[in-house]
Order: sequence, then structure tokens, then C-alpha cells
Amino acid sequence: MIKLYNYELSANCYKQRLFLSILGLDYEAVTIEFFPGMEHKSEAFLEINPLGHIPVLDDDGFMVRDAHAILIYLAARYDPSGRWYPTSDPELLAKTAQWLLFCEGTTSTASAARLHDSLHYDFDIDAVRAGAHRLFRVADEHLWFAEQEGYDWLVPTDHPTIADLALFPDVILSEEGGVSRQDYPALHRWTDRVKRIDGFTPMPGVFFAAPARA
Amino acid sequence: MTWHPVASSADLTYRTTYHAQISGRELVAWRADDDAVNLWENRCLHRGSRLTLGINDGAELMCRYHGWRYANRTAGCTYIPAHPADAPARSVCNRTYPVAERYGLVWGSVEPQDSGQAGPPAVDLLEAGAPTPLRPIVVNAPPAKVADALAGYRFQPSAAVTQHPGAAADWRSYRSPVGEWDVATVERDDLRVTLRAADGDDETHVVLWVQPVDAHRSVIRGVLDARPPAPSRLAVLRHHNHLLSRLRDRVEEQAALEPMPEPIQVEIVPVTVELSGMPELGAGRRAPLRVRVARKWSAAADVAGFELEPVGSPLPGFQAGAHIDVHLPNGLVRQYSLTNGPGESDCYRIGVKLEPESSGGSVCLHETVREGDVLAISEPRNNFTLSRASERTVLLAGGIGITPLLSMAQTLRQSGLAFEMHVFVRDRRFLPFGELVSSCGDSVVEHLGLSPQRTTEEIGRILGEHTLSAQLYVCGPAPMIEATSGIADELGWPEESVHFEYFANPNEIDDSTAFDVALARSGLTLRVESAQTVLEALRAHDIDMPSSCEQGACGTCLASVLEGEILHQDVYLSRSERAAGDRMLTCVSRATSDRLVLDL
Repeated sequence: MIKLYNYELSANCYKQRLFLSILGLDYEAVTIEFFPGMEHKSEAFLEINPLGHIPVLDDDGFMVRDAHAILIYLAARYDPSGRWYPTSDPELLAKTAQWLLFCEGTTSTASAARLHDSLHYDFDIDAVRAGAHRLFRVADEHLWFAEQEGYDWLVPTDHPTIADLALFPDVILSEEGGVSRQDYPALHRWTDRVKRIDGFTPMPGVFFAAPARA
Repeated sequence: MTWHPVASSADLTYRTTYHAQISGRELVAWRADDDAVNLWENRCLHRGSRLTLGINDGAELMCRYHGWRYANRTAGCTYIPAHPADAPARSVCNRTYPVAERYGLVWGSVEPQDSGQAGPPAVDLLEAGAPTPLRPIVVNAPPAKVADALAGYRFQPSAAVTQHPGAAADWRSYRSPVGEWDVATVERDDLRVTLRAADGDDETHVVLWVQPVDAHRSVIRGVLDARPPAPSRLAVLRHHNHLLSRLRDRVEEQAALEPMPEPIQVEIVPVTVELSGMPELGAGRRAPLRVRVARKWSAAADVAGFELEPVGSPLPGFQAGAHIDVHLPNGLVRQYSLTNGPGESDCYRIGVKLEPESSGGSVCLHETVREGDVLAISEPRNNFTLSRASERTVLLAGGIGITPLLSMAQTLRQSGLAFEMHVFVRDRRFLPFGELVSSCGDSVVEHLGLSPQRTTEEIGRILGEHTLSAQLYVCGPAPMIEATSGIADELGWPEESVHFEYFANPNEIDDSTAFDVALARSGLTLRVESAQTVLEALRAHDIDMPSSCEQGACGTCLASVLEGEILHQDVYLSRSERAAGDRMLTCVSRATSDRLVLDL
């Protein structure tokens, strides 16, 4: 049985829940009281992850931490189509990795702004918001030209990759950190497309899109 | 009226919402499935939530917060989930703004509609070819400053662009050679710059508009005069994106050195209490039950079936022939017969024929009401009761008139009582609840596509001479009911054996008279003025009287008359009942004498 050390309001944990739901995998979510209990910094949890971060995935004893590493693991193990993490195509694989690393940036800016605003974390709020806008501008430009070239996703292929799932929570929850997406219409359209992926699941603050064209 | 571009047409994709803004005013833009573009205040009238967070379902925009729905084009509120019995007053309407599409852009105006230009600016240069919008560039700077900077925008004609500058082979030595490019300003307005780039015979015009988003925010919306040739289309789009982005960087750098202007404060005009309030429901026309539309399906070519499940307490029981009042989200109240068989108590099923020419009850049910919606309904009432003690039972249905008869047929079938059911429809596609009809077995005869003349002959043949205790039930269009009554009479069917239910009263109602009504039990005398009904006069004096169709078809508002001459105008009472002169329908019938005494 897959076990996910999880916090319902965490954008990084949402990435895993999204992918598990899309892959149709059963799992047990073990709630780590991130706030206000700071359970991820407890002595017991530091035994599970010495970095004191969630999420952590335990797949029948195999433990892996860090949101994007877990996505890679789940794709490699449970996606027989090989499209979510396209290891067989060096260019697509490289682009997937590139956008995964881009998401480290959105996590430390857009998602950090959200932690500041809703969970009282001590960040330089102006700096993290400005950083988020800088990255959203890049993503919006990229996705606008992707649309022009006929692609729906971050990586130029006809199927979404784990990079889309890694970016989606940081983007869709950004307004909880005071980062408006009004200036990024291409990014907004892409969030609609992610919401229409089969198996999509929402979280508090994230809603379903109107259904796709039949 | 000044028009500004607020989006590219391509931004309004299938069933999405778009967050637009002009001079500080937030707007929601969305495209309906009929391709109409809407530009509204970005606020739900209810709690002020942004409608951009809502759901565009192709015909309506639903607020995410409490589910208020607003109609395409009019922005009229069509449905309030918390008040299924209270129709939104027709005037509950979100604020709409003028909107139009031109040159691949969506245009809007937030100024009063009676001033100036009636449409977005026309630009001759863009009329000829295939105008092609560029990627919009957001600039955090005042609109006027952006427009000034755009006058100095330099670019190459489309034909000269081969690859975008960022991909130049000798990237280290790359500099935008803007100084060498021959670009002339053709025209300069407040927030519009038209430029022409030339290189030998090659020439490209670009029209650049600045969308004034706020005091310190702008969007550059450029349109090329012609579609670049396919192989270099992307390169041209990237060329402009690159150069306009660099221009943006310079403008933003400059603007950052100056004091930031305050954001523009816009006034959001609240809807008046009269407009946002719920209309009073008349006494006696109550809708105590709440039902959810569990299923909506096509029950025939022009008939929608609705399965209504209870919300909260279980549904009251009823007998074959009963109908309910359905209070619709548009304020109308309509009666529909239940098609349920005996023992089907977990839901009510009704069939609604689409009547596009009528006052909008069926259109509302067909188009607005959907699965999951909550409706307010009355308890079932039965003015079309089935006798089970007859030796012969004939059910005659015309079209959608089959609904109460279907309930009767199932009841008779389950009780093992013989019956004949005859259904008259244009063709099988118009046969409502076809499967249910088939399940009624061999007792059902379908008569397809008969002319009125042939229908009459057929009805005569079906009825035959009246036999002991035979009963006839007929429901359908008024001419069919009238013809059937006449035929039955000729064939010797006594009046009390012929039962009918009209959908509607086809009579023209005369309400010109004025008279007094004395209420024997209440000890009151009321004046009924012309253009007022007895029912209205009763309610004006707080006398409770149930009602349903309020047009003299259903019989709910029946009152006993002790004295006076009655002007019957209903289609509910039989001839002998009328002649007896001791009962009247208070919704349409009046007095021919000066005074009526009612047993109320």
C-alpha cells in the first residue's frame, strides 16, 4: 500500500495527490499537522525525513522524499505508457526536467508567498511575490507560444507530463499569497486544461473547470 | 464613448472566463457557445465574489460562491439555488458593458453608452488583409508613458524576419539593429500608435493600442496588417514579442524611478433593494416542497422528462391523475401531471413539452433548469380522478396530454383492471415516454399522423355507444377535448362518465364587469373591480384560497356559490355543473348579477 505523508493545504503534497488520483492509485494519506502543530519538525517525523519536509512517500517500505522526486518515482513505476515522464525521448525528458526545476523556483516564490500570507511564515513578502511574477511571466510567454505551435502543455508533446502537475499547484493557489494571475492569460488557459485531465482532483481553494468540449 | 481592447479574441477559449480591466474597473469576459461575447462587472450581485472565478457553462456564467447563475447576453440572473421558490425579480441583472470583436481583439467600453463612438475604432489599414494580433505585453507603467514609448518602437517588416533574434547563431555579437531599421510613425493618437516598417519593397504596418488597465498598468495590444507567411509566422510573432518585451523592460525601469500613482478607485454601483429583492409570493399558491432534479432526459422529440427527488422530507403520496405546481426560476408557476405509477413514491416524474411561443415556462424548464437544481413545488393535487369501479375504461391522449393518463394506465394495469389507451401523436418521435407507453402492454393503441378530421372519426369509432358504467378520460389540446365531448354526447355518453383535463383555458376571459362578493362565513363584503379577479379580491382581504393554474383549467380555486348569477369562464366545470349555478372558479369566473354570495 502506498502511504503519503501529507498535509491537506500543502501545495507540494497536492502535486502527489493529483498524480496519484490521475494514475488511479489507492493510497493512504497520513496527516502531518504542518500548521500549527509543526509536526514535520517533530522528533518522530525527522526520523522519516531528516530535512523535516513533506511530502514523503512510502511505497511498501521504499521511501522517497521531495515533491518532484516522488512524481518521478510514481511515473516511472506506475505509468506504463511512459508519457508522464518520457524517459525514452531524450529531448522530451530534458524539457520535463527543465520545467521540474523551474517549479523549484515557483515553490520558493509563489508558494512561499502563500505560506507567508496564510501560515505566518517569515519571508520577504515583496521579494517572493516579485519572484513569482517574474517566473509567471516566463511561463505565460512560453505557454502562449506553445499554443501557437499547437501544444497544450509545458513540454512540447501531445500529452501532459509531471512538469505540468508540478507547476499547477504553485500557480493555481498563487492568489492565496497575493500573486494575481490576471496578467497571465495563457497560464490561466493552461490551468483550465490541467483541470480537465482525466482523474483531476481538487483541493481546498482549487475548483473544477467547466467540462471539456464533448 | 471610448473603446479599449481588453483581450485577444483567442483568449476567450471554450467555456473559460477571462479577467479584463479598463481604468481600474474589473470585468469578466466570457464567450458563450453561441459565440456571443459578454463583458460584465466582475462581481456577483449576491456577495460580490469575482465572476472570473465562476463557471462558464456555455449558456450561463455561474458564480462559484453560492451558485447564482447569469444568462448569456442579458446578464439576467436566472437561478438562485437557495431560493428555488422565489424567482429572481426579472430585473436582477448584472451590469453589462458594450463589447465587440474586431481585428482579432475583444473591445469594451466602461463609459456611458450614450456618448460618442458606437463601436470600436475602424482602421483602414486593418480592413483589407488578415489582421493578426501579436502576443499582448503587460507593462507595469502608466498607459500614457507606454504609448509615448511605442512611438519609438522599431521592428522589421514581416517578410524580412527569418528567425527570432534570440536564436541568432552569433549570439554574443547580437544587438537589436533597431537603429538601422526604417520605421515611420503613420499616426499617433492618445493610446494608439500606427507604425510602418519598410525594407526595400517589403512593408508591414502594425497598429499598437495601449489598454489602460490601471493608473500604473497597461497592456500593449498590437495587430499586424497582414498574416505573416506560414513558414515565418512564428518568427514574426517572436520578433515582436522579443522587441516589445525589451521595450517593456525599459519603460518599467523608467517608471520605477518615478512615484507610483495610486490605483484608480472605481465606484461599484450596488443594485437597489427593489431590484435585488425577491417578489412576494401570493398566499394560496404555496410551494412547500423542495425537490432536486435527479434526472433530465429527452422523453420525446420536443418533450423533456424530469425526475424530481425529495430534498429533506419524503414526498407526499398522490393518486393517478394528480398534478403539481412547479415554481420556476423565472417567476412563472406551471402545472405538470405526474406520470408515476402506483408505489413509485421516491420521486415525481413529469414531462414538459417545449412551447417556444408561450410565455416562457417550458422554455425555462428546457433551457435553464438542469440536473442537480433545486425546484420548489406544491403538494400534488388531483382534479382528474380515476374511477376504478367501471366495466370499461377508455383513456384518450393527445400528445403531451398522455402524462396523467400514463399514471392512470399503470394504476389500472397493476390492479388488473381492463382499459384501452389511445394515443394520438404526429409520429413516433413525438410520442412522450415511449418506453413507459410500451410497458403498458397490448392495451395501448398508437394513432400516428391523423388529420383533425380523421382523428374525430377515429375517436367516434373508439367510443362507440355508451355501455353501462363505461368511463372516458381525455387529456390533450383544447380542440381535441371539445371534439371528444361532442362526440361522446352524440353517442349517448352521460356527462358524468366523461372526464377531461385541459392544459390551458383557451377562452378569452372577460374581466370588464365590477360587482360585489359577500362572504357568508366571514361576514365580509368585497368589491371586485373590473380587471380584478374574485381570487385577487379575496387575497387583497387576506382571505386564504388555494389556487394553481389561475386560468380556469385546474379547478383548485373552486368556491361554493349561495346566491347570484355566475358568468362561467373556466374549462373545468361540466355543463350540468355550470347549469346548477352553485359553484365557480374564482380565478376567472365572475358575476352577471350585482352581487354574489360565496360560502367562504
